[in-house]
Amino acid sequence: MNRRFAAPIAALLLASLSLTACGDDEPSSSAPAGQNDQVKAGVIAIVDVAPIYLGKQQGIFAKHKIDLTLETAQGGSAIVPNVVSGQWQFGFSNVVSLLLAQSRNVPIKVVANGNNSTGDTKNDFGGIVVKDPAITSPKQLEGKKVATNALKNIVDTSVKDIVKKDGGDPSKVNFTELAFPDMSPQLEAGNVDAIFVVEPFLSQAKAKGWKIIGTYADVDPNLCVALYFTSKELIGKNPDLVKRFTDAMTESLTYADSHPDDVRAVLGTYTQITEAVRKGLTLPKFPSAINKDAVNKLADLSVTYGLMPSKPDVGALLP
Amino acid sequence: MTAATRPGPARRTGIPPRLLGLLGLAGFAVLIEILPRIGVLPARYFPTTTAIFGALVDYAGDGRFWTALGQTLRTWVIGLAIAVLAGVAVGVVIGAVPVLRALTASTIEFLRPIPSVALIPLVVVLVGSGMSGTLVLVVYASFWQVLVQVLHGVADVDPVARDTAQAYHLGFRYRVRYVVWPTALPYAVTGIRLATAVALILTITGELTIGTPGLGKLMDTAYNSGLEAVPSVYAIVVVTGLIGVLANNATRAAERYVLAWHPAVRAELPA
Repeated sequence: MNRRFAAPIAALLLASLSLTACGDDEPSSSAPAGQNDQVKAGVIAIVDVAPIYLGKQQGIFAKHKIDLTLETAQGGSAIVPNVVSGQWQFGFSNVVSLLLAQSRNVPIKVVANGNNSTGDTKNDFGGIVVKDPAITSPKQLEGKKVATNALKNIVDTSVKDIVKKDGGDPSKVNFTELAFPDMSPQLEAGNVDAIFVVEPFLSQAKAKGWKIIGTYADVDPNLCVALYFTSKELIGKNPDLVKRFTDAMTESLTYADSHPDDVRAVLGTYTQITEAVRKGLTLPKFPSAINKDAVNKLADLSVTYGLMPSKPDVGALLP
Repeated sequence: MTAATRPGPARRTGIPPRLLGLLGLAGFAVLIEILPRIGVLPARYFPTTTAIFGALVDYAGDGRFWTALGQTLRTWVIGLAIAVLAGVAVGVVIGAVPVLRALTASTIEFLRPIPSVALIPLVVVLVGSGMSGTLVLVVYASFWQVLVQVLHGVADVDPVARDTAQAYHLGFRYRVRYVVWPTALPYAVTGIRLATAVALILTITGELTIGTPGLGKLMDTAYNSGLEAVPSVYAIVVVTGLIGVLANNATRAAERYVLAWHPAVRAELPA
């Protein structure tokens, strides 16, 4: 009897062993002299991180002696713990999440710029979309239900700032949390009055004839939306690696900013955005320099709208 | 579990149950094709069967899909193997020693109902979001399925057989082999079948929520890739469903093989 049972168990074990054998080997953070460093970076599989994929594809990271593995997570909340614990060496996160982490003394530090608004308030990669033709300006969002991907983060803070600049009262806007892909269906169904979406959902909303009444560029023409960061531990342990990553990232950003067609092409390798949509969407700007004024502005806005009790040490967060 | 395995209606109609099952599936596919077309379901968010099938065909030519499929199967099989081995071993030991059983009963009943999903934040911080993170979830969820069944099985041992074994001074090893195991085996097999499904669910959940590479993660990127990629999301759902069906059939076949001697299985054989 036990022999009968032993066969399936053995088969199971063998299968698992053979599957493990063909698995990927875990890269380690420190490589022997002369070899490339094995580096893992945590990103979100969205348009914003195209430069790092492009940099890897173009061999920019290899040139700086970095063997880059990109790991994707659903959001900064999953990336920060992985970077702090050393599972990943670098990460990508929006500015407000990083400011929140800084205000809670999470040991991280920014190493490179991520992506910025286009500067064109009519044509940006993230903005407020309404279906009701009666709503024509942000201040009319008072008393309306607006969808944000996360509460107390960069999107609702931006919407509040846009409403305030238009002469409205941001405290009268009702926010509701929805994932970006779910926003258009909810707006269509009339469950919300306005949504804040990013590409590729923004251009699809536009294609439906819905109106954009405000964008990231309204907050700041050169709004820094996201940044790449590392743990303070890695800076102490391997400052040379951090410097090389920063150099490679800077180079990748410059390359991406001047090769939009390559950016659209690389999107197809890590997202499943169809080619037609890739061609039409609005890309963010990828400046290599961090706009410190914009980060400070977001820090001030975060305090104004109660995300954090006092302004975090922006200088300590930024390089 | 499925209608196809029940011989009842088949006898009345004279159609083989397997064919009936396929007919039901085909009917469902036709329904999914029609409903979005006539506007009962919004076609933008609920693609037709042909659109889903088209996305599946696209995936078949996409290396990313096959890599993800392999990753999912790997996490699933490894997790299941660990859970089954640990569940059977721990179950037999705890079940055979009354003191251990009394000592652990309350702890098991406390730990068992904790949904694996509730451990996600902890797992991400402690283990990270690689394969090992999802493995922890898979093993945690499926271990209890096996353990509890094995415990029940061991408790079900015929007292006469146990006393006889004792009278003959059989050692622990022999008692486990000839007395405990034959009784516990049908229970263990049920536990393994339940664990197979639970392990698959948790594998996909882990991939979807913590981003472990695999089908669940591929589904998440499709979900975040705009409305044109919606059929791809459904295509992955279909694939995971197919894996589930195959796994269920495989465990049932294994069950029949392992328990060929058992009256419950013998009775199920078609006349």
